[in-house]
Amino acid sequence: MKSSKEEVIPVKGLPVSAAYGWSVGELMEKFIKELRNKKILATKCPKCNYTYVPPRLTCGKCFAKMDANNLTELSGKGVLVGYTTAYVELDGNGNFRDLNKPKLIGAIKLDGADSTIFMPLLDVEPEKVKEVLKVGVVWREETKGELADIKGFRPIK
Amino acid sequence: MRGKVAIIGYAQSYHQGNMPMTREDMVFEVAKGAAEMAGITREDLDTVINASNDYLDGRTISELFLVMPMGAYLRDYTKVEMDGAFAMFYGMLKILSGTHDIALIVANTQGSTFNPHQISTYMLDPTFDRQIGVLNDVSMAAIQARMYMNKYSVSEDEVAIVSLKNLGNAAKNPHAHRRMPGITIEEVLNSKLLYDPIRELTMSPISDGACAVVLATEKKARELSDNPVWIEGVGSSQDSYIRNRNLYHLEGLEKAAKRAYQMADIKNQFAELDLAEVSERYAYEELMIYEALGFCEKGKGGTLIDSCATFKDGQLPVNPSGGALSADPITATGLIRVVEAVMQIRGEAGACQLPGVWRALAHGQTGVCAQSNIVYILGGEY
Repeated sequence: MKSSKEEVIPVKGLPVSAAYGWSVGELMEKFIKELRNKKILATKCPKCNYTYVPPRLTCGKCFAKMDANNLTELSGKGVLVGYTTAYVELDGNGNFRDLNKPKLIGAIKLDGADSTIFMPLLDVEPEKVKEVLKVGVVWREETKGELADIKGFRPIK
Repeated sequence: MRGKVAIIGYAQSYHQGNMPMTREDMVFEVAKGAAEMAGITREDLDTVINASNDYLDGRTISELFLVMPMGAYLRDYTKVEMDGAFAMFYGMLKILSGTHDIALIVANTQGSTFNPHQISTYMLDPTFDRQIGVLNDVSMAAIQARMYMNKYSVSEDEVAIVSLKNLGNAAKNPHAHRRMPGITIEEVLNSKLLYDPIRELTMSPISDGACAVVLATEKKARELSDNPVWIEGVGSSQDSYIRNRNLYHLEGLEKAAKRAYQMADIKNQFAELDLAEVSERYAYEELMIYEALGFCEKGKGGTLIDSCATFKDGQLPVNPSGGALSADPITATGLIRVVEAVMQIRGEAGACQLPGVWRALAHGQTGVCAQSNIVYILGGEY
């Protein structure tokens, strides 16, 4: 009886590739474009000072509106507050595929920010990750103003 | 509260990894089963609420073809795209509003349709985290687990004890999907490592399953049932997106629990609750749930499981049914916790039955790292 669904009607899904066109908003657009200049922007709430990276247009903590006047630039350095070693990854078709070489994912609190970002952690062996404190952004060689400009983070002194 | 609301009927499926039964048959059986237990027919249903998820089901109307099996045809009907425990809150409010006397709540998912962990990437911020491509519900849980375990020196053994307890308890639960009598710590710690420290046996399985409850006004409940279970308290709370949360604690759950305790006038959980059924999607999460529910201080979840207080013969048993680690048909999982608590209060929990259960807590959640939470305090006739 097992796998009866796949065996009887192997539905592959609709022949549609939905490339959704989300509006990222004025500040997120600026954030992405400024990556070309190796700048990381955040918004600092004018009411409670909570600093969001990537920038948000509203502060959910105190229900306040933010705009371009609340943008602030971060150094790209921060503290590693959490991590995991990935032994698998999802292949996009619903399968966990084993990785030949484990990958690290870091939870990073950038200096000057209150939010946490989750990024690839580079140049660290899994058994050494516990010792990592400070990390800095790793830019790709040619920055283009795209999210892919940030390759990840690596340990710094 | 304006009047009282009772649960007077329930049913759940035999949750499993890949059910031969169709979704429609699965839902019909629990809807019909709950109505029959309540002693009502389809004509008595004033309102029906379904909890299911379009993405998990692969249709933009997840209840497509379910209206008839649920008995909702040409009746007042709505859907909640969260756990069934939230749908039950909605049903309770409909009854308290005075417009409906009897509500049927049905929650269902067949996880075997498509891997829900792949779907979980659609819960992430599409303009940032989804593009970065490293997160899903499991990798995010792994990061939270490591943060929590490192901060409070919680060991992998302590986390594994949660799996040992719940999967061991599930061995006696015929409705559980993953039943493992005689499971050992070694088995848990040697199970496949996906994202450190999350292993196959420290995360919930992908399950097919459904669950239903019938709610009624106090008047109807007394007419229809000899054994109604009353909703004495309820509280829910929504935490922020993962980037802006304190990941060391389940603050949303803490707030939800406080509201439920206040409503039910509970001041000492250990003295006033006989058991808790919680939706722990990961073993470490149950330890964080203990803390948020006030069963122990912050950071002391590991110490509490070490004390065995939450084992089925302990002072405050948690998940005597096996919990979400033993079956996780997403959207039904929280409502199953309600049903398991109701079964214990009514003395109908079979081989899982604990002695002297009068009052129990049930918890449901939705989202990455338990972002939305709901807590019920349920009580029998004293």
